[in-house]
Amino acid sequence: MPVFKTPFNGYSVRFSPFYESRLAVATAQNFGILGNGRVHVIDLAPTGPVINELIAFDTADGVYDVAWSESHDSVLVAAVADGSIKVYDTALPPQSNPVRSLKEHAREVHGLDYNPTRRDSFLSASWDDSVKLWTLDRPASLRTFREHAYCVYSVAWNPKHADVFASASGDCTVRIWDVREPGSTMIIPGHEHEILSCDWNKYDECLIATASVDKSIKIWDVRNYRVPVSVLNGHGYAVRKIKFSPHRRNLLVSCSYDMTVCLWDFMVEDALVGRYDHHTEFAVGVDLSVLVDGLMASTGWDELVYVWQQGMDPRAS
Amino acid sequence: MSMRELVTGGAACAVPGSSSSSSNPLGALANALIGSSSKTQGVLKEIPNATAASPHPQFYSHAADPVAALPGSELDRPFLQSNAQGSDFIRGFRAADANGFADAWEEIQRQPPFDPLAAPAPPIQPTLDGPPQRVLSSFLHSFVDSSRSGVPLHPTPLPLLGLSQGDKQCIRDRSSIMARHIFADRSEEFINAQVNALLSSLEIENDIHARGPMPGRFRELEDYWNESQGVMKPGAHAADGWVTEFSQNRIHHGDPDTWAHSFEQQHGAGGWASEFEQEQAQLTSVDQMRGGNMQSLAAIQQTRMLAHTLSQNGDPKFQNSKFLQFVSKMSRGELIIDDNQVKPASENWATEYQQQYNRGASWADEFAQNEVFRGPDQWANEFGAERLQQESVDDQWVNEFSKLHVDDWAEEFGRQVGEGTLGDGSSDWANSYDEFLNEQIAAKQRSDASRGVYVFSDMNPYVGHPNPLKEGQELFRKGLLSEAVLALEAEVMKNPENAEGWRLLGITHAENDDDQQAIAAMMRAQEADPTNLEVLLALGVSHTNELEQSAALKYLYGWLRHHPKYGTLAPPELADSLYYADVARLFNEAAQMSPEDADVHIVLGVLYNLSREYDKAIASFQTALKLKPNDYSLWNKLGATQANSVQSADAILAYQQALDLKPNYVRAWANMGISYANQGMYEESIRYYVRALAMNPKADNAWQYLRISLSCVSRNDMVEACDSRNLEVLQKEFPL
Repeated sequence: MPVFKTPFNGYSVRFSPFYESRLAVATAQNFGILGNGRVHVIDLAPTGPVINELIAFDTADGVYDVAWSESHDSVLVAAVADGSIKVYDTALPPQSNPVRSLKEHAREVHGLDYNPTRRDSFLSASWDDSVKLWTLDRPASLRTFREHAYCVYSVAWNPKHADVFASASGDCTVRIWDVREPGSTMIIPGHEHEILSCDWNKYDECLIATASVDKSIKIWDVRNYRVPVSVLNGHGYAVRKIKFSPHRRNLLVSCSYDMTVCLWDFMVEDALVGRYDHHTEFAVGVDLSVLVDGLMASTGWDELVYVWQQGMDPRAS
Repeated sequence: MSMRELVTGGAACAVPGSSSSSSNPLGALANALIGSSSKTQGVLKEIPNATAASPHPQFYSHAADPVAALPGSELDRPFLQSNAQGSDFIRGFRAADANGFADAWEEIQRQPPFDPLAAPAPPIQPTLDGPPQRVLSSFLHSFVDSSRSGVPLHPTPLPLLGLSQGDKQCIRDRSSIMARHIFADRSEEFINAQVNALLSSLEIENDIHARGPMPGRFRELEDYWNESQGVMKPGAHAADGWVTEFSQNRIHHGDPDTWAHSFEQQHGAGGWASEFEQEQAQLTSVDQMRGGNMQSLAAIQQTRMLAHTLSQNGDPKFQNSKFLQFVSKMSRGELIIDDNQVKPASENWATEYQQQYNRGASWADEFAQNEVFRGPDQWANEFGAERLQQESVDDQWVNEFSKLHVDDWAEEFGRQVGEGTLGDGSSDWANSYDEFLNEQIAAKQRSDASRGVYVFSDMNPYVGHPNPLKEGQELFRKGLLSEAVLALEAEVMKNPENAEGWRLLGITHAENDDDQQAIAAMMRAQEADPTNLEVLLALGVSHTNELEQSAALKYLYGWLRHHPKYGTLAPPELADSLYYADVARLFNEAAQMSPEDADVHIVLGVLYNLSREYDKAIASFQTALKLKPNDYSLWNKLGATQANSVQSADAILAYQQALDLKPNYVRAWANMGISYANQGMYEESIRYYVRALAMNPKADNAWQYLRISLSCVSRNDMVEACDSRNLEVLQKEFPL
């Protein structure tokens, strides 16, 4: 299965919603602590386990996340550690990029999510404790959501309700928001430790998963969030990112500081259905292809991007 | 206009060009090892955790503000130089084209710095082609990797990397946040030690107001509370099935007790309290760890435990991590970094250091000696010895200079009031350090706050604490002033009418050298309890300190009026038109009435400072000292007043007393230096400044005074060390 080497430490990887072989990778030098960043747009070769770089964009600070536009196949947004959000168009030459730089966050932008249903807007989560709502046709953010008491690490749009999203924060809560409401509509004190990631189930719009520094993943039903639907234990360190499968209701994938990527079925007792230990440093980025069932990608601080089919060994070539 | 401004005019101390990359002991070590460079100039000291590298406007206003020239205020505001130089290295690196990155990267990959033999000797000055980047890179690797097996990160002398303040802030903030993810299994102490070791090696000041300790449960409690108290939102937008449903649910469950019930269900009654206590215990110990000297001790100890820790971790994957191997070799002394090169150590690393930077004992030994064998008593002896050499000298310009020597009564008074519970002055350096760090930040953050309006901290972990007042008192007693401020703020937010909470908050601020907040808090205390004597006295002192004579007189008069013993002395009609002479007369009467009341004499001393009748002020303080001979802050007051009245030689004796009583009284050390300088004994003054700075490297003014003294004795060779805040060099050159 193909591997791509990045010069900097991988931070995030995302499949394009338009091209089944295309991915974007966010990387940062020195683990994102200091230095430059780069966004790679890469293509899986149609034949053979090869990855080609389509284009790369350099940034003055580390890139912590990327998100593809849901409306334009060549546009992607990047979360930069200097607090800015860069908009890139892969159809344009590097010197024309970034096509836009949105600088409002006071601190590192750590998470992005493009609205998959409305397709016109995206959210940014920042270490300045806020979440901002953006559209590409405006130079300034539409709204700022300020309730979290600590860094916001991740945001995720609800797959069905175009105005609803969730944000995961180091204040140990996940908040559910409706952009038509002035404040958050729900607070889930999900973990005893910082919550680093959240994602909605793609088939049940009431289910949300949270991943925490406490090493656990919890599945919640927002209609009754007093107790989690399921708690997934198995990671040995903080769980950095989680993603529900776009193809199977009960499947989700996670990556962790324990250097592994794990696949889970949260409805069965032995929830851990797969563990991949191909990374040799922290695994911090993972994604599942919307277009190809079972196609997975991961990146980590070992500067490698792996793309592989579920059930295969990512390292097998 | 404050008294400080009036007397100083600011010019004497506004030494331009002093840099400010301050250092903790480890940073100082790194400094000593790698020398200094003008590249480090113009580095802005610890920026609060707000926006990145852009300097705050208020910093400039501080720089222009002669308040910053207050002598002896070791906690002073930062003196900003333009950060325009920025970071050549990083900027250069960023300016590099993609190939440049790639080249640099290839170089890193080809010649990993943890390979002791392969690493070439890079140039000393940061250049574009990578070596400093490589050093930094490898060092950050070792930091990140130290999580794998819980291997403590070893503070490492690094070559000069030319990091800009913005870079440093990035490293500090990001590593603090990331460390709490990466080292999730470890204790808060461990995490802090790791981050501290990283920051020390990079000469970055840690700053507890950066994104430090993870917020605990209580935040969310607060949210719960707000939520349940808050306005119920309309259940709009019928289309949204569950969202609406939830809104309705919330209205249904909207009673304020719900959150409590639900929380109790989840965690059991009292669960969160104990959780909070744990959190507090951690915070406390973290505080102790965080201080400069303690920190290096801890790091040393951790290093010694390293081999053991390593041997216990069996995970082959972690063991194979290349960076882990690097760290582990470093810690065993098999590798050292020397002149940008990683070298195999011939013997143990300490010996190596000693040979290469031969100035006597290694820093570790030196420190151990200082810490272990030299108790506070030793200082006194040392002092005694110094004093024998001291001569009285009169000097011209320093008379002028001595007028700088106005002290900060508010702080003194705070200490004095606190002393009843504070007990002895033996609180450790770490705490003092911590306070100083905090209060500088606090001062900056609040500098723009308008007078009289109390400004609360943004993120207060004590909100929701069951008894923040008690906690605050306890923290105050321990000398953890900034923590105490937070707890007390939580208290007065909970009980805005609690005069005692406001009063203690005011005193804590005063002791933390934040007069404005002190006054604001005291005014709230007075609102809550208009006749509280301690509050009135504190307000009087604080206003005197700010040379707001009418306000000061009003409160001092109020104190007299409400005093059960002296109330009869104060005719109510006088309150409408207070004159200095009247108030002074009343206090004199009070003093005659009860000559045994030290408070009255202290107030008199303060009053006489207000009118610049220094002789009388000195007499009053001396009287008070007969009644309270162990009040170190009173001794400092006396010294400051003597210095104001051009009696620097006497002032030194007074400071001596203060230091005998409280050896870690940084302000008195700096004041000693000023008094020596006032007498033309610059060489002596340098030693005291250096001593004060060794205890609190953040004392910006002391750095400036030091620079003046160095210039006066034509020690230009040391001015550079001063500019780069290279304490290690200075301490070796000017031992006390």
